Amino acid sequence: MKRNSYFFISLLVSVVLCTSCITEDEYDNSPEGNFEALWQTIDRQYCFLDYKKQEYGLDWNEIYSQYKQRISKGMNNEQLFEVLADMLNELRDGHVNLSSKLEYSQYREWFDSYPANFSDSIQRVYLGKDYALSSGMKYQIFEDNIAYIYCGSFQSGIGEGNLDEILNKLAICDGLIIDVRNNSGGNLTTAEKLAARFTNEKVLVGYMSHKTGPGHNDFSTPKAVWLEPSLDRVRWQKQAVVLTNRRSFSATNDFVNRMKILPKVTIIGDKTGGGSGLPFSSELPNGWSVRFSASPMYDADMEHLEFGIDPDIKVNMTSEDMQRNVDTIIETAREYLHNHKE
Amino acid sequence: MKKILLLLLFLPLSLLSQAQEDSLQANRYVMRATLYGAGFTNILDTYLSPMEYTGPEIRILRESMRMTKLMNGNVSVQSLFQAHLSLTENKAETSNEMAGMVNWNYALHYQFRLTENLKILAGPMLDLNGGFIYNMRNSNNPAQAKAYVNLAASGMVIYRFHIGNYPLIARYQANLPVMGVMFSPEYGQSYYEIFSLKNGGKNVLFTSLHNQPSLRQLVTLDFPIRSVNMRFGYLCDIQQAKVNNLKSHIWSHAFMIGFVKNFYLLKGKNKVAMPGRVSPY
Repeated sequence: MKRNSYFFISLLVSVVLCTSCITEDEYDNSPEGNFEALWQTIDRQYCFLDYKKQEYGLDWNEIYSQYKQRISKGMNNEQLFEVLADMLNELRDGHVNLSSKLEYSQYREWFDSYPANFSDSIQRVYLGKDYALSSGMKYQIFEDNIAYIYCGSFQSGIGEGNLDEILNKLAICDGLIIDVRNNSGGNLTTAEKLAARFTNEKVLVGYMSHKTGPGHNDFSTPKAVWLEPSLDRVRWQKQAVVLTNRRSFSATNDFVNRMKILPKVTIIGDKTGGGSGLPFSSELPNGWSVRFSASPMYDADMEHLEFGIDPDIKVNMTSEDMQRNVDTIIETAREYLHNHKE
Repeated sequence: MKKILLLLLFLPLSLLSQAQEDSLQANRYVMRATLYGAGFTNILDTYLSPMEYTGPEIRILRESMRMTKLMNGNVSVQSLFQAHLSLTENKAETSNEMAGMVNWNYALHYQFRLTENLKILAGPMLDLNGGFIYNMRNSNNPAQAKAYVNLAASGMVIYRFHIGNYPLIARYQANLPVMGVMFSPEYGQSYYEIFSLKNGGKNVLFTSLHNQPSLRQLVTLDFPIRSVNMRFGYLCDIQQAKVNNLKSHIWSHAFMIGFVKNFYLLKGKNKVAMPGRVSPY
């Protein structure tokens, strides 16, 4: 009986000692508290702090001191939002957004400071009125027997059957243009599905890692990312050109990276917008949502893709061509495909 | 203590050998209870948000207990199944999280009959858990999958008493996970990496009291109303973990009510009410 009593007493003590609460330090819902919470979320979870320090001298501790001075107890929500948005814009990342009921912050320099290199009114001239539409993609066969597909988003899925039908229909063409200008991304799996139609073998296209802890250098060992051919499906075997501009961002950046490595694919247009960090979400004590890059992706040479991918042939739309409703980038692609006809 | 260790050895064996001959023995008496309840949940999962979410939950609990032939018939077996669903909100009332968990416990308890009316039960427990937390606002980290298995220590006190001539049974039970394994993504690892790219990492982790200080406590009171045995219960379910630099907790407090049925299992015959002297409960 005595031994039993010891057992139950020790069990009770274990229960009391071991059941300690696991909680997270929460900041006050005040301008200071929200500022501290946002700064700390980025400090712990944002994946490009060291890379951007190296690229343009970003010092996140210095940013703290600089922006802390702009926080005061009496500021209203609008003023607080402006300061916090400005602080986030120091990251120069289109994947970093602050969202309140009133506003949505976005770093826009990655496309605003560059030529648009896309005009939907000129594109309409090329598509004509008899273009086809499938799985969100518009496609047309030009008079010179070059096929043109416009993929404006990877947000929605693309059906494998739709891709089969489209590529079958375009198989008679001498070359294919895939236009991903102004495609600001969406699902990586959708981008991968489209790229898988352009290779016959498994290809190493890059690496991906993620944060393993709150330290700036706490990263997992980068693991290889492969592009595998879409087996038992229709795959494009001729020359193809991908058209890009600065608004080719995020999952589209990943699509361009996958395509660029393929031997029969050429990238023409402007440098892509980048956005190679897989974004995660978090929130502040006042309920505002914040999105930030959490997992970096690299190309096959382990180089960062965060600030974009250079095209194989750099072309801007000229104002002379635009006045004549001519898309300089499409015309360059058509010429390239004619010159490289198989 | 030695008895408890022996029970630890018997736990896997008893899981495999459920079928026994019907020989009008104590181990054929079964207590079954089903409780329905509602309560309050507090959720934290730093993979989804550093903020706590709170809100109501609904829960169902099914329990069965019977005696076994182990250790001269002093060991009872308890099977406890629970499922709960909660809809919670952050303090700022700008976002919601939905959580659903199922839990199955299988325990062997050595019964220490201290007096005619008081007994203490102690023994090992297998604790299986699975579920999800879904944040309705997040982008690439919208949900967290929960899956963990534990070997737990379980203790119970059962006290039969009367108020006047009215018979009552009170019970307190506590289950403490001692060691186990748990699934978790790494700190900033997306499910895209785990499942689409198949780039895993430290996703299956050893857990013990240092990183999973959890405890389930259940208090019940059985009271008859005419020929029906009713049960009122309070459950305090503290599930916590700190793995891969991610913190999580689901704290639930639920009040439950339901029915208790006592059977004597006979193949192909009617079930017979259980005499108090052989009750596993």
